[in-house]
Amino acid sequence: MNSSSSPSPSSASGSRKKPRPGPIPQPQTKWRTGTQERIYRRRLLEALRSACVSAGGGGARAVKEAADSALALTARGQSRWSRAILFGRCRRRKLLLKAGGKVRRRRQPRPVRKAPSPPPPQAALKAKKVRDRLRVLARLVPGCRKLSAPSLLEEAADYVAALEMQVKAMRALAAALSGAVLSSPPPPAAIPEPEN
Amino acid sequence: MEPTRSSGAGSGNSGTYTPEIAESLRFEEEIQSLMHPSLEPPPASDGGSSFTALLGLPANQAVELLHEPESDDSLAVAAAKASGREMWRFRLRDPKALTLPSGCSPTFPSNAALVERAARLSVFAAEDSPEAASVPSHSGDRSPKPKAEPADSDSQPICPIPGERPQRLAKRKEADKGNKVKGPAKKTKSAEEGSAKGAEENTSGEKLPYVHVRARRGQATDSHSLAERARREKINARMKLLQELVPGCSKISGTALVLDEIINHVQSLQRQVEVLSMRLAAVNPRIDFSGLDSFLSAECGRVTVGNGRGGGGMEQSAWMEATVVNGGRRQPQQQQQQQQIWHVDLVHPHPTPPVWERVDSPHLIINPGTSLFGYDPSNSVVSLHSNQLKTEL
Repeated sequence: MNSSSSPSPSSASGSRKKPRPGPIPQPQTKWRTGTQERIYRRRLLEALRSACVSAGGGGARAVKEAADSALALTARGQSRWSRAILFGRCRRRKLLLKAGGKVRRRRQPRPVRKAPSPPPPQAALKAKKVRDRLRVLARLVPGCRKLSAPSLLEEAADYVAALEMQVKAMRALAAALSGAVLSSPPPPAAIPEPEN
Repeated sequence: MEPTRSSGAGSGNSGTYTPEIAESLRFEEEIQSLMHPSLEPPPASDGGSSFTALLGLPANQAVELLHEPESDDSLAVAAAKASGREMWRFRLRDPKALTLPSGCSPTFPSNAALVERAARLSVFAAEDSPEAASVPSHSGDRSPKPKAEPADSDSQPICPIPGERPQRLAKRKEADKGNKVKGPAKKTKSAEEGSAKGAEENTSGEKLPYVHVRARRGQATDSHSLAERARREKINARMKLLQELVPGCSKISGTALVLDEIINHVQSLQRQVEVLSMRLAAVNPRIDFSGLDSFLSAECGRVTVGNGRGGGGMEQSAWMEATVVNGGRRQPQQQQQQQQIWHVDLVHPHPTPPVWERVDSPHLIINPGTSLFGYDPSNSVVSLHSNQLKTEL
């Protein structure tokens, strides 16, 4: 489903500040190629090993975080959410500055908005709905809380593609592992444990 | 009239009395003499452009002008006559227009100065006269051409023509400034603004750092709506991308509902990730990572018959120092058991029952070496990855 639809007006569109250098990057073509998945699987394995060691028994959250970090690493920091994930993990602020200082860990106190007038016009209602949903989406995608609408949608597209790939890889890994675990006989004592 | 005209000429040139100005004065006197006998207005069909005014002259005089040995003089005279005609028209309206514009720089050659003046005056005529809506296009189209013809016979370069074009463009730009989007937008206007169309197309030749947004026919063309339309197009383009990504969103129309779907999809994906991570965490303590080669090589297909166990082990150790290697290298007995595991088709994430079925056939062996390097043709890629892993984690 690699439909490359780069609409012509948007390829020429741009704000007055910085016109877009090229067409919109296609997240499908980026994430659905096999290479990214392979890279991710390797990273995932390593992350799992280290997570398994550090977190000990039942570290579901550690596994998830490891998986997410591996995903962000595979994204190479080109997208905003990947940078947010990576820099959210490490606690140093110096690295946050590398991302432009825009990634914050704590929520800033937001100014309270006054409620809209009781009978808002129809168009404003729809716009408000759209805006609300955009807020929700911004909360879901890491690191995209204060983005404009077009960038937010772009990040969301990339994030969705990456998530799909992550789910696919993790499911395969889980299947492989559970297959391995279930079908292999209990390891005899003579065989030393694999060192991590 | 003559004293005013000459004084106007003098004041227009701010007192610099160059030979060209003297010539122009002389020509204007000639014009006067010419115009008195022929005071009738130029034929209406001509539309009053400068050179048709010239052509409105009696034919013999025009021929005389054009065939004079001094071709530059002829041009100057023609231009002067044309300007005279225009000035005649001006007399009715605005005596001030008779003053020659001070933009006439003495650096131009004489004919060029006069031609410029004529052009400027003709443009003034166009812009001042309400009935000459089509005159700008006419004079703009026609005046370069007839001027080019006598000028071609000149030995002089055709500098007036490119000289007058930017002036005309400048004037039209100023006139249309209210319609522009801070300079950057080039618009295709609807039919009633056809006269401005020519000007706009002229200005498209400039190189602007901004993006040209084209307003479609029948749509509003003020700056705000244009910018909004560009913004909306951007957003819609990205929404389309998202719609393609999320299954089942193409049928839905309406931004809010599509966004709903997208949000649901993202939430479901995140939940799946959580569930899978829980499963992996449950499995984790008992992982022997030796069985994961085919997982890593899931792209290359299902099974290959081969027996490169020893070679595979060595290659694995070269590739990664992980325990995968150790598992592969260590015991053949373990490998026999693991071969059953390697049958697992990891390309497609099936649920677990099919995995158990396929485990029963122990004949097929996956060659770990080829499976690993089936897709990594060169070791350089592999080493790059291992370097990356070392540096990044």
